[in-house]
Amino acid sequence: MKVLEHLKNNFLLFDGAMGTMLQNEGLRDGELPEVLNIEKPGIVSKIHRQYVLAGADVVTANTFGANSLKFKNQKYTVKEVILSGIKCAKESGAKYVAQDIGPTGALLEPMGTLTFEEAYDLYKEQVLIGKEAGVDLFIIETISDLYEAKAAILAAKENSGLPVFCTMTFEKDGRTFCGVDAVSAAVTLSSLGVDALGVNCSLGPKEILPVVETLAKYSKVPLIVQANAGLPKDLGGKTVYEITPEEYTNEIKKMADLGVRVFGGCCGTTPEFIKSMKNYLDTVKPKEIAPPGVSFATSGTKAVCLDGRTIVVGERLNPTGKKKLKEALVSNNMDYVAREAIEQAQHGADILDVNAGLPDIDEPKLLQKVIKEVQSVVNLPLQIDSSDPSAIEAAVRFYNGRPIINSVNGKKESMEKILPIVKKYGTLVVALTLDEGGIPKKAEERLNIAKKIIDEAEKYGISKEDIIVDALVLTVSAQQEEVLETLRAVKLIKEHLKVKTILGISNVSFGLPNRELINKTFLAAALGAGLDMAIINPMSPGMMGTISAYKVLSNEDKDAAGFIKKFASEEKREVKVVDNENTSLFDIIVQGRKDESAQKVSKMLDEGKDPLDIIENEFVGALNFVGEKFEKGEIFLPQLMQSAQAVKNAFVVISDFYQSRGVKREQKGKILLATVKGDIHDIGKNIVKMMLENYGYEVFDLGKDVDKSLIIETIKKENITLAGLSALMTTTVKSMKETIDEIRKENLPCKVMVGGAVLNEDYARFVGADYYAKDAQGAVQIAREFFKK
Amino acid sequence: MDKSEVLRYLGHKGQQLSRGLDLEIDEMINKCRDISKPKYVYKIYNIKKHPDGVEFLGSSLYLFGKSVINHLKGADKCAIFAATLGADIDREIAVMQKTDITRALILDAAASALIEEVCDTAQNEIAGLAKREGRKITSRYSPGYGDLSLDYQQKILNMLDAQRKIGLTASTNNILLPRKSVTALIGFI
Repeated sequence: MKVLEHLKNNFLLFDGAMGTMLQNEGLRDGELPEVLNIEKPGIVSKIHRQYVLAGADVVTANTFGANSLKFKNQKYTVKEVILSGIKCAKESGAKYVAQDIGPTGALLEPMGTLTFEEAYDLYKEQVLIGKEAGVDLFIIETISDLYEAKAAILAAKENSGLPVFCTMTFEKDGRTFCGVDAVSAAVTLSSLGVDALGVNCSLGPKEILPVVETLAKYSKVPLIVQANAGLPKDLGGKTVYEITPEEYTNEIKKMADLGVRVFGGCCGTTPEFIKSMKNYLDTVKPKEIAPPGVSFATSGTKAVCLDGRTIVVGERLNPTGKKKLKEALVSNNMDYVAREAIEQAQHGADILDVNAGLPDIDEPKLLQKVIKEVQSVVNLPLQIDSSDPSAIEAAVRFYNGRPIINSVNGKKESMEKILPIVKKYGTLVVALTLDEGGIPKKAEERLNIAKKIIDEAEKYGISKEDIIVDALVLTVSAQQEEVLETLRAVKLIKEHLKVKTILGISNVSFGLPNRELINKTFLAAALGAGLDMAIINPMSPGMMGTISAYKVLSNEDKDAAGFIKKFASEEKREVKVVDNENTSLFDIIVQGRKDESAQKVSKMLDEGKDPLDIIENEFVGALNFVGEKFEKGEIFLPQLMQSAQAVKNAFVVISDFYQSRGVKREQKGKILLATVKGDIHDIGKNIVKMMLENYGYEVFDLGKDVDKSLIIETIKKENITLAGLSALMTTTVKSMKETIDEIRKENLPCKVMVGGAVLNEDYARFVGADYYAKDAQGAVQIAREFFKK
Repeated sequence: MDKSEVLRYLGHKGQQLSRGLDLEIDEMINKCRDISKPKYVYKIYNIKKHPDGVEFLGSSLYLFGKSVINHLKGADKCAIFAATLGADIDREIAVMQKTDITRALILDAAASALIEEVCDTAQNEIAGLAKREGRKITSRYSPGYGDLSLDYQQKILNMLDAQRKIGLTASTNNILLPRKSVTALIGFI
């Protein structure tokens, strides 16, 4: 009987700790435990055998850390330790052998430097070896980053047909070290198609119970619990665990009641624990867990329930009709994208729609980039919006969490291309009620298309609670007669199909003045018709106010608590009118009044002041003044930065001014900035960027951990003549040198300035830089000198 | 948290602070406390000095270098510890850089001050253990100091099982992640 078959009607009992047992057998601190598979296979096999005798169905091969990252520069290859580990496990005579797959040991982007694809490749290598050696299943365990879990799960599923179990490790606050909560874990892992999911390590069975309860509510697959033997206690430098096998089993009883089906032990557990559990489990029958019945979208650290509440989907990360965003996407200005995401989140969006569809652009690549940027600054789930299936698949694969795909439609081709992606990655999907015949006029026909898509999805095993129907908003100025037909379709779809609905509200008002009034009136009507999710601009107080009011009226916002909280404080808040009539722009900048400068500059422009004059004289004059004060030590860095931010905020007004007149502002010179490969400290580089932009330079910010090839490519493409590189660690100064060597080798007419905490004149010479900037002000001086020539 | 330490990280040398900036610093210190999840872990080893380095008995750690021998002069035991503020504070600093970089810089400085404070706490605990044996401790000494290679970062984390216990990792370039983290040695003398 295969392991999944066994699991259908029986408990499945894993073994207990390996590490603890190996330590008792003399494993020294700091040694990689997997090495013993080769050097002392007898000991490893003996431990496995003890677990089998205690009643374990599955033994876990001693391969937890056997990946190429940890085994770089070791005596043995990954292949050798995995093969010998699996051999030891098989020799124990266990019913099933699981290949143990732990974290890579490095943190993934954006918090770390390991890319998703690199993690995937590390796991793929392990999986292929295990498959060849004939393991029965994979257990991916002690994971604290859902993104890493995703890389491992995909690697296992795509490279073997074997069962995949996955457990994560939680802290007392119910989150993992990376901030993953139990709901997000249950939802995301289920959607990725694991065969069982659960918890291991970190806490004892008593402390982990609340997490298990949550998992039981939201998991779609059997649950696993492999807890520690209580909490660790330090006894004179030796770690001991506090509970007995009997106490452990007592806690297990509660979990079996919750529907947990797979048990085992982690740190501190021994064959006695397994035996005790076995004795108990033999006396009871496993319980089924009820399916959750609700749908969630997740990010890496947040789950948003889409049922039983009104959901706001932020529309602002879609370049259609948004000039500034378009420009930002074309010029790779990811800071703008990040700010749009942060602001929508701060204004109450539940989910953000993300679209990177522009003509003549590598959409799959750009969409991935936008997703990476957005996910590094907000924790809201995303709705991936594209008409290109290859862009969708690339994005969904790369995304951390369970996204919504926007969209599939009733065309045969669309369903054939999109539905397999929905199934494979376990996403939610927006279904547009249009097909080969276009958007039907009548609500009934749209209902039919919705039904067709739902039926087709069912064939792929996609359940209808994961489908959100969009009955398509038409523009009132063009198709006035059909606008209310959409709302009728929403009603019909809710009534007959019992699925969630979504609408892109703003479409209704194209071409009319006072669009917001039309939008919010239509929104109110749509909500009344039963709309679940509204794609709107969260920064619009009118739209968000309508949502808040509707939540009160529909009994969703109980006792109007949310409404009262929002508006009572809003009424109290006075509108701050700054009286800076008599303060000069110079003083505002010098004093670092960063919230006042924009207002002042827009007033000056209204009065007919020349924007170029403001930049050249007002900005530069004030910046030079504070720059000198900084150099003399009269002010310190935060004060210099406040002034710089005052200019930056005012610059936005000037850029808008130019843009509204269709004029392109002349830049003083192009400068590339990057934090070099391997280094992820970028605050210093970002300060330099702000200061250089304030002086009117066009900055190409490549970000952090930047490969030298990208730097070379950008220098060539943009004809850059001055590049600024930053490094903060002695170890990454090396990659700074490599980058500069490469620039020289390519014979590029580009000078290089360097800066960063560990750098000094000597280091700058060592790496072969042309200039050394001791601080942000220094970088400005270098640039000004450089471009004067 | 000692505000003067935060100011020191910001390069403050007695300049007059505006009230606004002063309040902003207080606010960021509080925010840093709210968001950080300080954790530390340590182990104590008997050590043996050799002409070229220090051996940690019962483990596979052998630290090469003159500076570490010098630092552990007179010590026959040594604590290895690792401390971190966790990933949330890194994320917050990253987000804030996009909206208000001055505040981000201040928060970053506050986090630097806080991790030192966490290290002090760990150090005091270790000093307490030493005192029970009637001994004193040395100051903290970290990879990257003197000729002690940063390449020991990963090994030290392995010894402490630091990824499992406190969520601390090192990148291939030996950068500790989450970023506001420290590893160090403390000798018993």
